[in-house]
Amino acid sequence: MKAIRVERAGGPEVMQLADLPVPEPKANEAVVKVAAAGVNSIDAQFRQGVFKTPVPFVPGQEGAGVVTAVGPGVKCVKVGDRVAWSGTLGSYAEYVVGLAESKVPVPAAVSDQDAAAAMLQGLTAHYLCHDAYKLKPGDTALVHAAAGGVGLLVVQMAKALGARVIGTVSSDEKARFAREAGADEVIVFTQTDFEAETKRLTGGKGVDVVYDGVGKATFEKGLNALRPRGMLVLFGASSGPVPPVDPATLSEKGSLYMARTTLAHFTATREELLARSGDVFAMIASGVLKPKIAKAYPLAEAAQAHRDLEARKLTGKLLLIP
Amino acid sequence: MKGIQVKQPGGPEAMELADLPIPQPKPNEAVVKLAAAGVNFIDVYFREGRYKAPLPVVLGQEGAGEVTAVGAEVTDVEIGDRVAWAGAFGSYAQYSSVPANRLVKVPEGVSDQQAAAAMLQGMTAHYLAYSTYALKSGETALIHAAAGGVGLLLTQIAHNIGARVIATVSTDEKAKLARAAGADEIILYTQSDFETETKRLTGNKGVDVVYDSVGKTTFEKGLNVLRPRGMMVLFGGSSGAVPPYDLIGLAHKGSLYVTRPTLMNYTASREELVAHSSAVFGMITSGKLKLRIDYTYPLAEAQRAHRELEGRKTTGKLLLIP
Repeated sequence: MKAIRVERAGGPEVMQLADLPVPEPKANEAVVKVAAAGVNSIDAQFRQGVFKTPVPFVPGQEGAGVVTAVGPGVKCVKVGDRVAWSGTLGSYAEYVVGLAESKVPVPAAVSDQDAAAAMLQGLTAHYLCHDAYKLKPGDTALVHAAAGGVGLLVVQMAKALGARVIGTVSSDEKARFAREAGADEVIVFTQTDFEAETKRLTGGKGVDVVYDGVGKATFEKGLNALRPRGMLVLFGASSGPVPPVDPATLSEKGSLYMARTTLAHFTATREELLARSGDVFAMIASGVLKPKIAKAYPLAEAAQAHRDLEARKLTGKLLLIP
Repeated sequence: MKGIQVKQPGGPEAMELADLPIPQPKPNEAVVKLAAAGVNFIDVYFREGRYKAPLPVVLGQEGAGEVTAVGAEVTDVEIGDRVAWAGAFGSYAQYSSVPANRLVKVPEGVSDQQAAAAMLQGMTAHYLAYSTYALKSGETALIHAAAGGVGLLLTQIAHNIGARVIATVSTDEKAKLARAAGADEIILYTQSDFETETKRLTGNKGVDVVYDSVGKTTFEKGLNVLRPRGMMVLFGGSSGAVPPYDLIGLAHKGSLYVTRPTLMNYTASREELVAHSSAVFGMITSGKLKLRIDYTYPLAEAQRAHRELEGRKTTGKLLLIP
């Protein structure tokens, strides 16, 4: 089979198309023929060696496809099932093997590309809006990087829950995408101070929750934009890690809450993974949630996909099609 | 009238019994003839100058008594009402003039001394268990300093809600008090490691919430005993301030939440102030909440009261009786 292989850490050029044997499932594993693989910044971090894994390896964590073989003991999926997954290294390939328990069923109304695009970012948006801070009708949410992969989905889900959404973006073009996703207000933070503007837009009251995947550049001002007893959910740090925080800051700024979350803790059991992915797929099927797919590349063009991802020029999800 | 005044910050001797004029109410104030004034650590901080107040200052933030005069704009209370308050200066005196919207009426069945004792610590325990983290029956809470002023009240409230309470205390004597307040498990942290012991007591699952008024010596280990997505409620720092904390630790330890609340943010509106105080008075009247008022001092012995409070030999509430 064809697969992208990394033999040493480095730039996009270290990803080479290789001929590898189709993997065989061991106990509790399933092999999937990959229809679409998601491209994520975590893949670039593995490629660069920021995250360590033994070389050579096949990158990619996320995808959708059809089960072609199962190992002994597998009960949760069977050959022929359409499934999607995240957290299985080796997804940049025609076939990938991994734990059967990480595969979730994909309903007929959801395409392979949408399913692959939704696993990391869609499930992340879902736990942010439904669990990390449970949005209620009438709440106001500040969503940073509202035209980013997770951001566009958070905006759509927050609107579906009846919240008012203030989004921050870096350019007028991205402002348009955030508005199309349903944002009530959009702040182009390169032109306007988002703290002052958020206060103005909320009549000085502040927002109920800040969803922050940006980190260093936005954290402190995000706290300032919260109402008393509001919550900042930090789920990423695309601008760099937030420096250590003095807890007294939280009381000084109004008895605030903060959380630093990761998807793994919100899909820890198979039950929760199925419930969450089922919910996300149902939203896609009903049209409430529209994953934005920026570009689908042939598998052989993985290096170009990484270059485009790292240049941050495209808005929406990048996929590889084996 | 007599009042305890501080002209220069310092030790207990900085507090002088002075003859002062009976205060006149501003338009929004009511004058209260004090029956009892609560003694709190915050009074020590103001006396020492760690917290700043314009000097000279009459100390004391908490009290109960009878309204003897009202300003022109006052509608919340009338002359003759029995009232209590927290969060306004000047209660170490025979009379104090207090913003009327901070006064709550004290029902029959609650004595002046009980009312004075309950305003800061009782309302704190109440908002912690009902608002900051709304405890539910069947949940497990770790309460540090469970034999302390707030701790004993929080333990009773948590127990009454139906939560399992794991309490940390420093001595056998305090263990008895915590147990009598309803703690299910007691950890003598001077003899056993509370992190190890809490994990053992929860079958390694961790607790839903940690209520921590100790701070520096307990914070990090407290995070280690939380279940995934559990909440750390830091509401004091009796062992010192918690140093700045790298939030990535919250992600690694299980997508944890941290908040640092103050009573002021939970009683900011008159509705909330009345709701919390009424609930606490109701619990006192029905016998569900038992206050320990073990130490009462004449006003002139304020210095001795502070020495004993700072010596940490007292358990339960200290009151001055003007």
